Order: sequence, then structure tokens, then C-alpha cells
Amino acid sequence: MNILAFRSCLIILLGVPAVAWLGGRWGRRLGWLPSGVLMMGLLAGILTGALQLGSSSSLTVDLSDVAPFAFALEVDRLAAFFLLLICGVALPVILYARSYLPRHYDDVKSQWIWALSPLFLLSMVLVVTSASAFSFLIGWELMTLLSAGLILLDGTSKERLHNLFIYLVMMHVGAAAVAASFFAFLPVSRDLYFSSIRASSLLLTPETRTAIFLLAFVGFGTKAGIIPFHLWLPKAHPIAPTPVSALMSGLMLKTAVYGFVRFSFDFLGGVPGWAGYLVLIAGAVSGLLGVLYAIAEHDLKRLLAYHSVENIGIIYMGLGAAMIFQANHIPAWAGVALVAALFHTLNHALFKSLLFLGAGAIADATHTLDIDELGGLLNRLPTTGITFLIGCLSIVGLPLFNGFVSELLVFQSFLAGSTLKTLPGQIVLPLMAGVLALTGGLAAACFAKVYGVAFLGRARSDAAKTAHEVPFAMVSGMSLLAIACIGLGIFPAPAIELLISLVQTLIPAASLPSELFGFQRFLVPTAAAVLAVTLIAMLAKARRRVTAPWACGLPGLTTRMQYTSTAFSKPIRAVFSVVYKPDRKLEILPADRPYFPTSISYRSVRTTSFERSLYRPMVDVVVALSTQLRRWQTGNIQLYLLYIFLTLVALLAVVGLQK
Amino acid sequence: MTMLIHILQALLIVLGAPLLRGVVSKMKARIQRRQGASIWRPYADLGKLFRKEDLAPPLASPVFRIAPRIVFSATVVAALLIPLFRPSALLGGPGDFLLLVYLLALARFFLVLGAMDGGGAFGGMGGSREVLVSALAEAPFLLGIIAVAIVARSTELAGIVGWTLHENFFDVSAVHILAFTTLAMVAIAETGRIPVDNPTAHLELTMIHEAMVLEHSGPSLAFLEWANSVKLGLIMSFLIGLFLPWGMATSASMPSIALSVGIYLIKMLALAMVLALVESSVAKMRMYAVPDFLGIASATGVLAVVFTVFGGK
Amino acid sequence: MDIVQLAAGKTLSSSAVFLLLTVLLLAAARRVSTSIILFGLQSAIITAQVMATAYTEKSAEAWVVAGMVFALKVVAIPSALLWLVKRLKSPRAVQPAISGAKAVFVAAFMIFLSYAVVQPYAREASVPQDALAAAVALILTGAFLMVNRRKALMQIVGLLVLENGIFLAALTTTFGMPLIVEIGVFFDLLMGILIMGVFAFRIRDTFDHLDVTKLRRLRG
Repeated sequence: MNILAFRSCLIILLGVPAVAWLGGRWGRRLGWLPSGVLMMGLLAGILTGALQLGSSSSLTVDLSDVAPFAFALEVDRLAAFFLLLICGVALPVILYARSYLPRHYDDVKSQWIWALSPLFLLSMVLVVTSASAFSFLIGWELMTLLSAGLILLDGTSKERLHNLFIYLVMMHVGAAAVAASFFAFLPVSRDLYFSSIRASSLLLTPETRTAIFLLAFVGFGTKAGIIPFHLWLPKAHPIAPTPVSALMSGLMLKTAVYGFVRFSFDFLGGVPGWAGYLVLIAGAVSGLLGVLYAIAEHDLKRLLAYHSVENIGIIYMGLGAAMIFQANHIPAWAGVALVAALFHTLNHALFKSLLFLGAGAIADATHTLDIDELGGLLNRLPTTGITFLIGCLSIVGLPLFNGFVSELLVFQSFLAGSTLKTLPGQIVLPLMAGVLALTGGLAAACFAKVYGVAFLGRARSDAAKTAHEVPFAMVSGMSLLAIACIGLGIFPAPAIELLISLVQTLIPAASLPSELFGFQRFLVPTAAAVLAVTLIAMLAKARRRVTAPWACGLPGLTTRMQYTSTAFSKPIRAVFSVVYKPDRKLEILPADRPYFPTSISYRSVRTTSFERSLYRPMVDVVVALSTQLRRWQTGNIQLYLLYIFLTLVALLAVVGLQK
Repeated sequence: MTMLIHILQALLIVLGAPLLRGVVSKMKARIQRRQGASIWRPYADLGKLFRKEDLAPPLASPVFRIAPRIVFSATVVAALLIPLFRPSALLGGPGDFLLLVYLLALARFFLVLGAMDGGGAFGGMGGSREVLVSALAEAPFLLGIIAVAIVARSTELAGIVGWTLHENFFDVSAVHILAFTTLAMVAIAETGRIPVDNPTAHLELTMIHEAMVLEHSGPSLAFLEWANSVKLGLIMSFLIGLFLPWGMATSASMPSIALSVGIYLIKMLALAMVLALVESSVAKMRMYAVPDFLGIASATGVLAVVFTVFGGK
Repeated sequence: MDIVQLAAGKTLSSSAVFLLLTVLLLAAARRVSTSIILFGLQSAIITAQVMATAYTEKSAEAWVVAGMVFALKVVAIPSALLWLVKRLKSPRAVQPAISGAKAVFVAAFMIFLSYAVVQPYAREASVPQDALAAAVALILTGAFLMVNRRKALMQIVGLLVLENGIFLAALTTTFGMPLIVEIGVFFDLLMGILIMGVFAFRIRDTFDHLDVTKLRRLRG
């Protein structure tokens, strides 16, 4: 049964392009054919994943005798989870694409998209279910190529080609690192089937293990979008067609998480403590910088892309905590942290896809993605607005939605870091909870801005004033994802149970701590209480009247008097100004008569590009250092005192270290 | 019997919150050598607002009317988590302090959304300032609670309170002093009192919370004001429960409950007096000095967590 | 144990935390008068510690030292400095090099550093870890204040905080220095303050401000 489902999934995904081509030849009446067949294939995939998650034996599909190289697929619990994730989240997206594509692309392009998307999904399925390095790398490469092809279908302007080029280069650098980490097993492993790799990992020297881990970290980090390898994310995700953006952000990044988990916990069987700290710190930096960059954006898709960086950072923080616990021989809490990270992976796939689909719906209705041109969309697109709100509430991690549960578990595992016996972990892990809290607070700020500016208030442009609700298929796709978000937010127990059995195969532990199930005691009562009190409050009958708001005596408020997203985010940008280095240019003409200007122009370009904030400060530091060196011989009292102070500190350090 | 006590706890916070606000205002007035309004005034205000019309701008969405109700319900449900008379509450479980913090965040999110829906500049201004203050206040809030939770070896609020109850007051540790400093500063930021925000502001230059509720009226405004009072009450009870729980009933018998109610009221009165004194003696900080203030709270919170390792009483 | 003994024990063990709080507040203080008041508070806490030590060690000398600390560092010097601030009439807030939250994080790091350094010692010498770490933190903070702030008066306050730290260190490791040494130290301190006060007036009269970074013009 399982094998049948799996095989049919693969075959259907492989065959949809042909169906799309045929459907194109037979005319538009059969336009539903490719999407329908594809959805059936995805359903088969979901079935396989669900069945395999519960079973302890794994499925294998071995084509190595047919193909000239080692091509084998295996669906064990980890692969089944990711298979379920990919097919499950892709289903609503394809449903959405069913009506989105005909509205935005002509027949030929639609055909191409229907041809390439199933292959894209197939490549992702290949990556997560492969049982040999070759099939993994083939799938990995195909993911990049097919997504690049889909991006090209959306247009070939110079800027798009430039972004696409950066995307391809960085993806191939990552792929090279991943390939190298596989090949590093070659000296000790017989061949590159995963089973041999797993068996041979005990024979590796510590240096090789370190090298493999670092290569895997760089390779998968590039694909996942960890800072500083995230450059491609905000360039590539916004320029793809909307359903493809949803697939890329929601699913492709997760394959990188899959690869990293597979390497660290399965192949290497656990990594040393310092590796865990590396992952933890990388995750924390990505989380914080990702959300700070997102706050400064007002292009909706680029904002969502930066938020993907943030959420991948949170996932990596959970993974890092799991690695640290495992290295310190506390498998129970390592299991909790890993469950938290994997659950957040699932949740992120759900709500990120939902948000991208919502962005596509906004673009469909108003033809713009700049939220400063929108406003008051909730009245015009009610269902889109409600599902987008659910997506916002989930990504911020507010209670009763799925983001809260996974963040709760991550917090619990950080708190448990205090039970570690040795110094760095005891303090660092609880302090990471503070970093995560800050990230969450900033995410709330960002999405309050997005929703408030785009959907609430009054329309800032004609496009927003005349927007219409999107077709049923698009709305139902988004609603499916929204219902999943709420469902997992109030009843996460089934998913958590499945994840626990998955994690036990990776990090066996005698029993998991009860804190893992703490939420069961209060989630449902909280949901019931909030619902009850809100309903009672709604009953408070009052006379309602519609009247214009107070305009301080002016004839009326114009829509431009509302806050824009730039204005809303200004306080936060001002406080965190070290992160943003805008290039500001104020030009007053004519220059020699400043009191009688004929024109004043102000230009502010935000350079959130990491390369400029990496290289420029370094140069500044060197220049500053040399200036400081020049200033040693001065009459400055403070510097003389500084010498004394430094001698004091050095003495203390020397004496202290001697002990 | 325990259920009855829990319901009583919840009712006391929700129904008594306006009285708390009235008491604080009266104390402030007296310190400033004014007569001040009666302590029952907030109830009269709520009653008046409930009888008035609910106005809405022409293009406002349903969020404008629903948001105040959600703010109220989220705050009330958060109040159900706080132990008052006994070291246990109606809702609770491992990790429930996170539920508390994030329920308050849910309330704040909808407050900002309701403000943005007003379609004017006030809502956006109040919203943008509020999200700055709350984003920076989340980290010290959680760090303070985490430090205390680590020392008490429990992740439930009821467990932490119970642990503190069994400790000696004079054995107060460095962690508790630092965590109390952090949480006191966060409490001022979260409840929007001077020196972070002026709850009686009239000038938009100085408004944070007031700007967000400006466009609401009638029952919506009543719910928002009530929610604000409940938030003040619940944060004050939270501080008392976490750091000064002595006097709580350890058994469910009537006399001990009655005694603990009395002691709780005395503690709240004392804390209200402290709040009134602080509000009357310092000036409101300018907006961009608030990050410095919360930065100090964060540094103290970090130190509190660091001290859980370095120990020492 | 009678209540006084209990109180003395409590004072010794918990005063360290309050001293650390004053360290954080000093890093964040913007006005000179606030720093002076904080210094006075610190000295009061240290006086309490000396009195507690005097009670537990039953040493008459320590009572005298406590009295001297109180008279000098809690009453005399802060009031003199506040008088100086009023007379100098210099503008209140001069931006320090590192201000606000960043300075507080530096202070927190210094506290962490002093604990890390003191831990191995405290275990061996069976000295109360908290008090010694607080002493080191005070020394570092005093030096940090002198480096961070640009007004001449802050240098004085920084030096005083530094001296507080040294005094506390001596108190915790040796339960106080001999009385004659104490008196000598206090006398030196008094002389130093007087001379610096005179200099502050002279600097202000010559340059019309107290910003020490501008004294570089003397370099020529």
C-alpha cells in the first residue's frame, strides 16, 4: 500500500508535464487537467508520508540496476515527515495556482509553468527521500535549475537577470560544499549509499568529522539562507511567480534543514559542543538581523523573504540547542529541542506559504506589492484579509496559532539549558531566550505594520480603492493553509506525537520531559476562554454610528495623512541604526544661493546588503586603528588614565589566568 | 473548593481593576496636594462609556470594532494565569509564563491593529511607538522571569510562587534582587506608566497608549480602558506573587483564604503607593530615552541570568 | 542568634548585590549630581558593611573606621562636590563617549569579568566571593567612569568610586587595614579632592568649560 502510494506519487509528478502539454494542445477547456492530476500526485505523496511516519520500517525504491549510477530512494521517518510537509503544503499552493496562473500568464507560459512546477516538486521529493548521495545531488541541482527556469518565465529584465545570476552562483557554491561533504566520506565508506555512510561514520577521524560538519554547515546554510549566506534570498524570492515564491520560501528552504539534520544527527551521529554553539549563534544572528532588515522593507515579497531568514534562524537556534544537549549527553532535552525545531519547520512552511499566497492575491487585486500604496483592503478582500491575518498572527508566534507552540518548545529547551553542568551552555542558552524574545517582539512590530498599513485604514491609491476579491480557488488554497495554522495552534498534540517518534529514531532517549506536553494543559482552555469572553463582549449591545474621525478642525483627513510603513518603522530603525546604513543625499540647487532654492532633492538608499556592511566596517576599523595609533602621544589626560586602567585590567587578567 | 478560589481570584482582578486605578489616581492626587477624584470614579466612567454610542470612521473594517473586544478577552484570560491567594491559578501548566507574556502580546497586537484602522495619524503614531517599546520590553520581561524560574527550578508560575513561598524572606538571593529590578522596569513599560508613558496625556507629543485608543468610543473604549486597568492589576499581582508571596494560603481552608485575601489587598495597596510615588516624583522620559531605560532593564536581566550560575546568596 | 547578629550577617551577604546595582546605575547616569548621589549611596552601603564587620569581629577600631567613612564619604565629600557643581554652573549633561544602554552593557560585562576573575581566588582564600567581586567591579567601574566621561568633575567621582572599591577589597580580604593606615588614606583622599576642586575652578576660569578633551590644546 505504502509503496504503491509512493510509486504513484513519483510517477504522477513525472508525468504532469506531459499532461500539461497535451492539455495545452486540446485547448483551454481542459485547463484544470494538469493541476488536478498534480494534486492527485501530491495526495499520494501525503498518504505515503503519513503512513510512513507511523511505521518503523522504511520504503525503498532502488533504481540502481536500471540507471547507470547509484540511484536509490528510501522513505524512513525523517524523510516521511519532510515528504508529508512538501506534499501537504504544496497542495493548497497548487490549488491557488489553478486560478492564479491563467489570470497572470498567457497560455504558453502557463503551460511551461505547469510543466516545470511538478518537476520542481519532484526534485524536492527526490532530495528528501534519496538514499544515495548521487540521487541527493541530482535532486539538489534540479531544484536550483528548475526554480531558475521558473523565475526566467516571469520576465527577463536586466535587473532580474542580475538577481538570478547571483542566485545561481550562490546555489552552486552551496551545492559544491554539500557535494564535498558527501565525498569526504569516501575514504572510509564503501560507496555513497546513505546506509554505508551511516555505518562508516564511526571510522572517521575527528578532523574529518569537523571538516564534514563545516562543509555541510556552509552548504546547507547557503541554501537555507543563514546570515551571512543569505544574500540570494531577498533577491531571488520576490522575482519568481507567486506560487513558485511560496514553494521556494515554504519548501525549498526546508530541504536544506532536512539535509543539515540528516548530516548532523543521522550521518555524524551527533556533533561536538562547539558545533552546536556555532549553529546556535548563526541562528540567533540570522533571526535578529533578518527581522531587522524586514522591518525596513515596504515591498511585501522582499519583506516576507527576509522573514524567512528570521524563521530559519529560529529553526537553527533549536537545532543548535539540540546539538549542545546531545554533546553534553542529555538526550531527553536534545529530543525536545529537535522536536521544537522540526515543528517550527512545519509551521513555517504553512504560514510562510500562506503569506506569500496572500501577497500574490494582493498583487492580483491591486497590481502592486508596495504596501505604501495599499490600505483598507480588508473591506475589499475580506477572505484574503482574514487568511492573511491568520498568517500574520501565526508568524508572530501569538497564542492559539501554530507559531506559538513551536516557539514555546524552543523557549522551554533554552530554559532547560540551565541544567547543563558546564559554563558556556548554562548561561548562553537561557540568554538566547532573551534574543528569541527580542526577535519575536520585532516580528510583531513588523507584521503590525504590514497588516495595519496594507489592510486597515483607508486606501492610499486608486488601485487599492477598486480592488476586488480574488477567485474561489485562490481563496480556498489560502483558507486551507489558514485552517491548518489554527488547527495546529490549538491541537498540536498529534503532530507533536509523530515528531517525537521521529526524533526518537535520531536521538534515542529513555523518556522525554513532561514540559514537552505542558501546552496540553492550557491551550484548549485558553482558546475556549478567549473565544467565550470575546463573544460575551460582542454581545454588549450599543448604538452604532458611522462618523468621520476628528480632523483637528480641518475639513477632513486625507489618506496621505495616515502613517506609511516607513513612518511606522522609523522608531525601530532609529534605535537599531547600527544595522541600517542608509546612503543619504540632500541636494539643494542652486548651491551658491541656499536661501532661494529652485529645487531640493532628497535621496535615501538603504544598503542592507551584507557585503557592504561587512567590508566597509572592516576598512573603517583599520583606518580608525591607525588614527588611534597616531594619537598615542598627546596631552590628553583621559588617554593617560586609560593606560593606567588597561594596565590594571591586564594585571588582573594575567594573575587571574595564572590560577 | 479550589475551583471556587480560582474563580474568585479571576473575578477579583477583573472586577477590582478599575478600583485599583482609582486608588492609584487618588494617591497621586493627594501626593500632588490635590483633592483628586473619588476612588470609585473609574466604575462610573466605564458605566458612562457603556451607555454611549459606538462610533466608527466611514471606511473602517470590522477589525475596528472587534479589536477592543479581543484586547479585553486576551488580557482577562492572561489574568487567569496569576496566582493571588494560593500558589495556583485557574489556568496553568509547564511554560505558562510564556503564555502570559504572549497573551499580553496578542492583546497589544490587536490594540495596534485597531489603532491603525482609525484611518488617521494618531493611530499610526501610537502604534509605532508602542511596538518599539514592547519589542524592547519583551527580552527583559522574559529574562527576568527565566532567572527566577531557573532558581526555583520550575517552569510553572504556580511552581515558582510555591518555591518562593517556602523560602525565607531574608535569604533573598542576588538573582531575585536583580530580577526584581528588571521586572519592575518592565512593568512600568508594559503598563504604560510614567516615566515611559503618561496615562493621562492630552498632547499627542507625549502619547503612546492614549494615541491608540483615541479614535475608539463608547463600549469599545470602555473595553480598552478596562483592559488597561486589568493589565495594571495583573502585572502588579504578578510582581507580588513572584517576589513577595508570603501570606498566601497554603491550605484551602476558609480562614487561611480570608487571611491571604487581606494580606494580598494590603500588599497591592503598598505597591500602589509606591507606584503613585514614582509617578509623582519623576518626569516622563522623552521617547528616544525609553530604549536606554529598557536597555538598562535588559542588562540587569542578563546579569540576573548570569548570577543564577555564579550563585551566592 | 539575636536579631542584630542576623541583620549583620544579612548585610554582609546582600550588600554586594546593591553595590552592583549602583555600578549599573552609575554607568547609566547622565548628570554629575546623580553620580555624586550614587557615590554617596555606595559609601553608605560600605559603611553598613564596615559596621556589620565591626559587630561580628567585635573590633573597636572598625567602629572608628565606620564613623570616618560615614563622616567623610557619605556626608562631607558628596556635599562638597555638590556645592562645587552648583558653583561651577557648568551645563548639566555632557555626552559621554559611550552613553546609555551601551554603557550599562559594558558595566554588566565588567561585573561578569570581576566574578570570573574572583572565583578561583575566593574558593582558595575562603573569602566571601560576592563582596570581593563587587570590590573589583567598583574598581573597574571607577576607572571606566574616568575614561568615559568628559567633565573634570566626573574624573573626581570616578577616582572616589575607585577608592571605594579598593577600600572594600581591603575590607573583605583582611577585615580592614590598621587604623593608622586608614587615617592616612582618608587624609590623602581629602587632599586629593581639595586639589582637584581647586583645579576644576582654575580650568573653568581659564577655558570657560570643564571638558577635558579640549585640554589637548595645551599640547601646543
